[in-house]
Amino acid sequence: MPEPQITVSHLTKTYRVPQREPGLRAAVRSLVHREYRDVEAVRDISFAITAGEVVGFIGPNGAGKTTTLKMLAGLLHPTGGDARVAGHVPWQRRPDYLRRISMVMGNKSQMLWDIPPLDTFLVLREIYRVPAAEFQQTLDELVALLDMSDLLTKPVRNLSLGERMKCEMVAALLHRPAVLFLDEPTLGLDVSIQRRLRRFIAEYNRRSGATVILTSHYMADVAELCPRVILIHHGVLLYDGPLGGLVERLAPFKLIRLTLDGARDEALPDGLEVIEQENGRLVLRAARRDTPALTARLLSTLPVIDLAVEDPPVDAVIDQIYQEGSV
Amino acid sequence: MNHRGGWALIRRTWASWMQYRGFFFLLAFGWMIPPLVYLFVWSTAAGGATVGGFSRGEFVAYYLVLILVNQLTYAQTNWIVGDVIRGGGMSQWLLYPLAPAYHVLSSELAGKVVYMIFVVPVTAVLAITLKPELHASLADVLAFVPALIFAWMLRFLWGYWLALLAFWSTRADALLAVQDALVFLLAGQVAPVALLPGVLGSAAEMLPFRYMVGFPVEVLTGQVSGTELATGFALQVGWLAVALGLTWILWRRGVRHYAAVGG
Repeated sequence: MPEPQITVSHLTKTYRVPQREPGLRAAVRSLVHREYRDVEAVRDISFAITAGEVVGFIGPNGAGKTTTLKMLAGLLHPTGGDARVAGHVPWQRRPDYLRRISMVMGNKSQMLWDIPPLDTFLVLREIYRVPAAEFQQTLDELVALLDMSDLLTKPVRNLSLGERMKCEMVAALLHRPAVLFLDEPTLGLDVSIQRRLRRFIAEYNRRSGATVILTSHYMADVAELCPRVILIHHGVLLYDGPLGGLVERLAPFKLIRLTLDGARDEALPDGLEVIEQENGRLVLRAARRDTPALTARLLSTLPVIDLAVEDPPVDAVIDQIYQEGSV
Repeated sequence: MNHRGGWALIRRTWASWMQYRGFFFLLAFGWMIPPLVYLFVWSTAAGGATVGGFSRGEFVAYYLVLILVNQLTYAQTNWIVGDVIRGGGMSQWLLYPLAPAYHVLSSELAGKVVYMIFVVPVTAVLAITLKPELHASLADVLAFVPALIFAWMLRFLWGYWLALLAFWSTRADALLAVQDALVFLLAGQVAPVALLPGVLGSAAEMLPFRYMVGFPVEVLTGQVSGTELATGFALQVGWLAVALGLTWILWRRGVRHYAAVGG
């Protein structure tokens, strides 16, 4: 087992949030005496990540994903616990550390609005002190991967959201960070740009061996990119392992899609639950281990035109966890 | 310190600002108006005689120098610091292996260059038409240079520590408006500080605001010399030390606070 690149132990973050009642009187009172409420954003989280892994942080809005990511990127000081990333304590923000990481926030930009991306890239070359030859090589490689050579000299304000996100990716990777934090990089992007970015991230990880931690609300991102997911909910780590394992654990059933000849009401074998029914099309739910036997019974007893067995959609499973708050 | 990165940042900011220089020219024009108004008020009042020892031509010289000094020392950057803190842009600043002060300085220096492209020619044209009387000795010019640099540093840092209060309070930039008002009143804009009456005049001499604009103008126009000059520099440097100390304390505490509450 190689030495982990990221170790997080008992990491905790509590925010003190000022709170007041609505209305003018409360506003005036809060000037003199502020009341605070403690919000535990992250509670006692521990995990370890090996160099080169791609890990997805999932969880509903406000679960503590971004807070955890910000602590690892050194932007937030934890209330308790400890973390080491690439041999550094992130929140000391030593220049040596900052040169080895990068963070992309889907809702923030580091591109300057009025000048072409190339100008920003050149500034980043200086800030990160990338030698000129290495810079050119990295830039060429990234630009080719993202197919964006025509964007380099247009002012950023003339670029679309997807084009801008491509630029953000390049900007984040010019100094070849060993650890990459991606906070919802595909936020608001159309399906084809999302796919392109996913392929890019996977390819970058494969070529550079960089560790990637990604948060996303698009399960497609996570399913495609992350062999391992960490599920955080109400600041607590609920699950750490492969996405498939999470689905299996939560949804120990399969879906059977069935199309029958004619819309007659047929008696179904026991152990099947009807989820949808419309004009002879049925969606049934069956326990995972009974599925083969039940499928055989359906095929032999009913006038089946078409039959398909599927895993429940990941989104539905995730929704179930978010609603129930447990695994 | 990563100076190369800082210098690159300054060049980029300048390039970006030149993209909309028209806007900055208009801003600079707006900032020229109040001193211009007072230039005409006082030079008309002086007429053929003198007011408080100033002749018409001396008023013109005083205010033309003031327009330049006011523009060179005005720290427009401080107005964005609050937005950067509130909007979460500070996170990006903190992620770079570069002192965040460079971001502020780059905007300061880039701004100065852009404004001067407009203000210097306009002031030159005014000087040709309005015939100022400037009696500056070599000693005055030599004293003016450090007085101007300290004035910029003081005005910038004074606004910066006020702007840094945005780490704790959401509308700290209201304090910048107060600073601007006090500079307008007490730094020699409404009238040269020497002409301010009684208590107001003494207050202006003690408070930091005169040393942000008025003092270097007075130095170049030959109004201060000897002990007055020494006292002036002492007060200017003293206030500068106060501003530096406050900036240092507030920056350290502010970043700690930011890391505690999140951006």
